[in-house]
Amino acid sequence: MRRALALLALACVPSVANGQATGVVFGTVRDSAGTAVGFAIIQGGKREVSSDSSGRYRIQLPAGPVHLTVSRIGFLRQTQDASVPAGDSLQLDFRFAGGIPIEMQPVITTAAKRSQLLDQAVTSVAIVTDSDIARRAVNTIDEAVDKAPGVQILSGQINIRGSSGFVEGVGSRVLLLVDGVPMNQGDRGGIDWDLVPVDQVERVEIVKGAGSTLYGSSALGGVVNLITRALPLGFHGRVRTTAGYYANPPSDLWRFRDFTGGEGGLDVAASFGTPTFRGAFMGGDRHSNGYVQQGGGDHWHVLGKGEWHAADRTLIRLAGAWADADYQVPGTWCTRGSCDDGGQAYQPFRVDTTNNLGAHTRSAKGYLTGIVERTISDAASWQARGSWLRTNFTDFQPSGNDGAIANTFGVELRGVVRPAPDQIATVGGEAALSDVTGNIFGVHTQGEYAAYGESERRFGLDRLTIGARMDLLTIDGGSITAVVSPRAGLLVPAGEGTWRLSAGRGFRAPSLAERYVTTTAFGIPVVPNPALRPEEAWSFEVGHARPFGARAHGDAALFWTQGRLLIEPTITINPLTRNPQIQFRNLQRARLIGLDVALQATPFTERLKTTAAYTFLYARELAHDSIPEQSLPFRPRHHLTLSADYTLGHVGAGVDFRYSSRMDRVAIYETDPRIAAKVLDLRAQYGRGPLAAHLLVANALNYIYTVVPRTLEPVRTVTLTLVYSY
Amino acid sequence: MRTPSRGARATVLVLALLACNDGLHPVPAPTTCPQHFTGICGHVTFAGAIPDSTDAVYIVAYHTFPRSRDSLFTFQPGIAFLQALPLDSAATFYSVGLPTGRYEWVVAVWKKLGTLTTASADSLLREAGFYRDPADTTLPGVVNVYTQGTDSIDFVIDFAHMHPPCRYYNPPCP
Repeated sequence: MRRALALLALACVPSVANGQATGVVFGTVRDSAGTAVGFAIIQGGKREVSSDSSGRYRIQLPAGPVHLTVSRIGFLRQTQDASVPAGDSLQLDFRFAGGIPIEMQPVITTAAKRSQLLDQAVTSVAIVTDSDIARRAVNTIDEAVDKAPGVQILSGQINIRGSSGFVEGVGSRVLLLVDGVPMNQGDRGGIDWDLVPVDQVERVEIVKGAGSTLYGSSALGGVVNLITRALPLGFHGRVRTTAGYYANPPSDLWRFRDFTGGEGGLDVAASFGTPTFRGAFMGGDRHSNGYVQQGGGDHWHVLGKGEWHAADRTLIRLAGAWADADYQVPGTWCTRGSCDDGGQAYQPFRVDTTNNLGAHTRSAKGYLTGIVERTISDAASWQARGSWLRTNFTDFQPSGNDGAIANTFGVELRGVVRPAPDQIATVGGEAALSDVTGNIFGVHTQGEYAAYGESERRFGLDRLTIGARMDLLTIDGGSITAVVSPRAGLLVPAGEGTWRLSAGRGFRAPSLAERYVTTTAFGIPVVPNPALRPEEAWSFEVGHARPFGARAHGDAALFWTQGRLLIEPTITINPLTRNPQIQFRNLQRARLIGLDVALQATPFTERLKTTAAYTFLYARELAHDSIPEQSLPFRPRHHLTLSADYTLGHVGAGVDFRYSSRMDRVAIYETDPRIAAKVLDLRAQYGRGPLAAHLLVANALNYIYTVVPRTLEPVRTVTLTLVYSY
Repeated sequence: MRTPSRGARATVLVLALLACNDGLHPVPAPTTCPQHFTGICGHVTFAGAIPDSTDAVYIVAYHTFPRSRDSLFTFQPGIAFLQALPLDSAATFYSVGLPTGRYEWVVAVWKKLGTLTTASADSLLREAGFYRDPADTTLPGVVNVYTQGTDSIDFVIDFAHMHPPCRYYNPPCP
């Protein structure tokens, strides 16, 4: 088969030089443990190519004897002599013998809006790699992000160090970026995790703490940047298919259907790249029966990317994606009397038929981005960006349908300059205009116009960072609000480790939904509050990262966040009409103090990789109005994640464990039973050549639990994922 | 000191894993207040035909008897925490979480389909029954809520004899 593919490739690739006989050398590059090594440089004569992420390479060379070398940072160079057959192909596999890959510091791009090494960031950053995503065989990106240290997803809402809690999908205190472009919904301010197909995400960077100095609104608790796959040279294809099933309820008393629910999906991607043009397109579909009654859904998505290396130092990038989902909405589960309860106090797998029967949501969302990057010199570069994000949802409910269409148009001009060898600065301007049209939000616009700058200066080995951003917020073309977000940070290498200190201010502009929602909840009118002000928070952090010998690396951070004017739905009496009403108001003052610890180690053998992460969180809602100080709702005090992966040649196995302590307080159904979350995932994988198979048993113990009251978390799910990469 | 055998270590591991599996389990519908619960519990018995225009029936409690429209919405628990009673049987057990304190009126409120305002309260809301003083069943019974649940707050909800809120105002509506 390989030979046939190589011959096919030979037929497709133009010859090196007209009239000169050529042949193709192909094969795989692996390390001493048999793991594929991507991005290795294979050189023969005057030509060179790089291996793909599966370690495979293909190089066309003049026929005859050739001296081939393979190199990659962290490995000893390998060489081999061969004779290239004219008009034929030759397989040559390389193995980096005996060398241990040097652990390179990951390069990140989110924390400072420019490339930097991970240990040069002044705030904590967690990274989820495509290997992590592949190993965990997840279907949406939030499932992968949920495993990152200090991060927890509560029914789709992300919490970084307890930032958001659970606010029913309206307003996120975390900013989502896709390849650096803001993607929070224009109307509700929330995050659509299915905006980008999970198979197209190469890396996720999670910046913890206030990031408004560079990113403005919503970066109150942190920033999540989804970085999509790079476009390689040559033709590549990828097919990913998943199939799985959900465990039935552990008790017959909870049975709700007479079949076993399943899920499945298919993604197909192709890319082609030349030194000048590169492009990729992918499409996929997913179906699920759901693990609870009325929990199923269908989803399809497409994504396209293109790059034009217009000149030696100029790059133009275009990208777009569209996702469409129609999913059932189970709402809160059935309690006594609200369904065929079988004499039970609650039926976690059944829907409350008095309120939610038949509810479903149609949700479509997509984006277009265009970016021009120009490197002027070694000391200066700039980037210009334009983007359009569109969301469209309709909630079909027994009580009536709600829906809205929102657009966010954004532009940004950013420069990175090195005025001196020991100084680097990022400066830029950004504007975003959001509009919404819907029966519950009305017709409104919101503008955000900003200028920002942040400079890093080295003093010996120490690095001092200072920056600030000014945002002007407008609503419906008027009522300008100004917000200033400064940040200062210091990095001090000490011994083998590095200390980091930072203090920054973050804010979140109220979403159009929070300002203008007009609907009815619990039979009570929900009324607009156009006078809402931005939420604000100061974040402080002291962190330390250091290796422990050659086999372990640790990172610990103490953090303190002080928030004010936090927006909450509040039930009040209208002073004029004396009617009860629900309204979003700036009320809460909050303090979140905690400790974040992460440890990575390869104990005993290089084949075994382990990680442990623990977050302690003391989250308090400070006294305001007549409310005494109390716990902030939906913030577990302890959050622990453990993982271990063992790889032997082509096979591997792994385990993840997640513990999250019982919530001190929840804001809804406070008298419902609350328990800790203890979830064990088991994984196995096999990879050989272009084929990889991943088996995931998520929630292997079928632990039945909730984090948001009356919303059942996923039961045991067995999923098999097959990936073929060409 | 002997090193634990491989089997013993595996047993400990399995036991540790099983210890994790203490999640939610089926719980029969309660007949008394649950542990660590603050509020009132009891049985309500339904009488009369349920009107077709029924939106929901809630049980709420007032620290002070509401004698005016302004005090109509001073009940506990908060509106966001109201739970509709199941109406599919002749009687049902209920539990309502309440702050500790003294409550002069524990009342079942029938709500008609429609959006509630103070102005529409008299047309959309009805008193459908209330907890009565055991010594004089013509009077509302006072309920004291302590940190543990208060049981046996039993009464009848009669859909055939419901009254608008203004019946209890001072002065009452005609």
